[in-house]
Amino acid sequence: MIMSRALIVCIGNDLVADDGVGKAVYKELELSCLPSGTRLSYLGLGGIDLLEELDGEDRLVVVDAVQLGSAPGTVHILDWAGLPYMEPRPVSGHGIGIREAIEVGRRLYPERSPQHIHLVGIEGKCFDQLGQGLTPEVETAVPSAVAAVLRLLD
Amino acid sequence: MAKTIKIDPVTRIEGHARILLECDDAGKVEEAFFCVNELRGFERILVGMEASTLPQVTARICGVCPTAHHLVAAKALDNAAGVEPPLAAKLLREFMYMGHVIHSHALSLFVLAGPDLVFGLDGAAATQNIVGMVDAEPELTKKGLRLRSLGQKINETIGGRGIHPVTAVAGGISFKLSDAQFARLQELTAEAVILSSELAGKTKGLLFALFDKNPILLEKLNVPSWYMGTVKGGKLNLYDGDLRIMDEKGAIQGEFTSDMYRDYLVERAVAKSYAKEVYINHGGAEHMYRVSTLARMNVVDGLETPLAQAEFELFRQNFGRPCHNAVIQMYAKIIELIYACEKAHELINNPALRGETRVPATFKGGRGVAHIEAPRGTLIHDYEIDEKGIVRAANMIIATQQNTAAINKSLKEGANNLMKEGTDELMLNALEFVVRCYDPCLACSTHAIGRMALEVEMQHNGKTIRHIRRS
Repeated sequence: MIMSRALIVCIGNDLVADDGVGKAVYKELELSCLPSGTRLSYLGLGGIDLLEELDGEDRLVVVDAVQLGSAPGTVHILDWAGLPYMEPRPVSGHGIGIREAIEVGRRLYPERSPQHIHLVGIEGKCFDQLGQGLTPEVETAVPSAVAAVLRLLD
Repeated sequence: MAKTIKIDPVTRIEGHARILLECDDAGKVEEAFFCVNELRGFERILVGMEASTLPQVTARICGVCPTAHHLVAAKALDNAAGVEPPLAAKLLREFMYMGHVIHSHALSLFVLAGPDLVFGLDGAAATQNIVGMVDAEPELTKKGLRLRSLGQKINETIGGRGIHPVTAVAGGISFKLSDAQFARLQELTAEAVILSSELAGKTKGLLFALFDKNPILLEKLNVPSWYMGTVKGGKLNLYDGDLRIMDEKGAIQGEFTSDMYRDYLVERAVAKSYAKEVYINHGGAEHMYRVSTLARMNVVDGLETPLAQAEFELFRQNFGRPCHNAVIQMYAKIIELIYACEKAHELINNPALRGETRVPATFKGGRGVAHIEAPRGTLIHDYEIDEKGIVRAANMIIATQQNTAAINKSLKEGANNLMKEGTDELMLNALEFVVRCYDPCLACSTHAIGRMALEVEMQHNGKTIRHIRRS
């Protein structure tokens, strides 16, 4: 039997408060026992660079801080249908989100694009302070985000 | 006892772009302000650091143009230490830099500005993004993204990392090419040259079609200004050379090394934006000026590489010298993209690239100034370093800051001419289009999934009369 392969991409700038939660989850996952055929990678920024990470895996799990209006520390598990849209005409490269990157990938590189996509989004509280680490609410959510990622890989 | 000083709002971090328009009684825009909040606190953060860390630390200023900061910091340290890096080091740094420029220009042209080219200014906004562009122009987008990726691979191989490179140091570069890397890079640059010329024709066609459909772009977005850019022997050079300034009539008004910048440029704090504005100080007057690709195409006499030179000649025939129209910046970027690909290919095939890459560098106390042509325009780093190698003072002049006055003027023109009776959506499209012509570097702090939409506020006598943002 051919094992289905999975890719976990954790995104976030660990210099910027709760944006660093992707990096915190990445560090925990590095120490975890991942199912065989799983590749773990870290990106400072998502966007178009996410395309470069795709290598024909069947399943993609993206971990990132989100601002969806819930209580800080809430762990959202969103499937493809639930992924938010970004603004239509971005002024900077940061306006390109997971959905846009994957839609580009599916059209241009179908052979490298995953079938199953989930976002594990950790609701952040603070995104404008440098070098102060995660807020307590978000820090507390790291183990449940890690658990959510591992459940999605089962 | 520890004291907490709270600064609220945090004004040095970019959250979203904001345009402020001040109108008269008749609703005509009198003043426009593009409010940019660059992360300029870095100049203070650097004080007290070990100078040798500057290339790595300053690269962190920006995730969009880290290689420009990384290399200009290393060049300023060469100057502070009074050393000249070996030839191979200079060539490798320039090669890394061409990778960065390819990456940056390809992103700007095919991902950010691309939808404007493909869909024009009045299409349905929902489809006008990179995804819609893939549907409309799959081959163009695929090649554009491939070119971006080739640039990133060059940057990553030489710089050690794709974003925030680490290899350039005072006195050279801590990297040597392996045989395998050498062969691989020769293949990649050959592919880049072919891709860039294939893309140039198609992109130019789209741009000219946009002008035909919207003649107002060529007629109304002319903003006369002075220009500054780097030349070496009169030709374009992005990594090294002298700074040349040109007045709005096209006369060259000076050429100087970057350590003289204080004699030519004045920085000024302004009320409406957190970025300082910069003016050229010449003949007893202050002149608004622009940097970036259009400025470079205006100040240079020509380009070193054949395909780029041929395109440059067409550009000059069509748009003259100087060309004052910000919209033509996209054409200028196509020429520079071809140049960067050709230059990268030339550099990797230069046998001198494989010599010694580093000389010892120590700091005896003094100043180090250097500049580089960042994708968005001239970038200057200026450091005071003491005899122990500690940074005592730092100043940086950044591209977007130099262009702010011209962006404001273009927005004013754009606002008065492009959006008279338009809907909110058309107005946002038009003003965003103007902003994107300058490709401003908005300091990166967060990319969390959420909105970073442009916001337009119209004021009359200090009161907000119209406030627009996409819902």
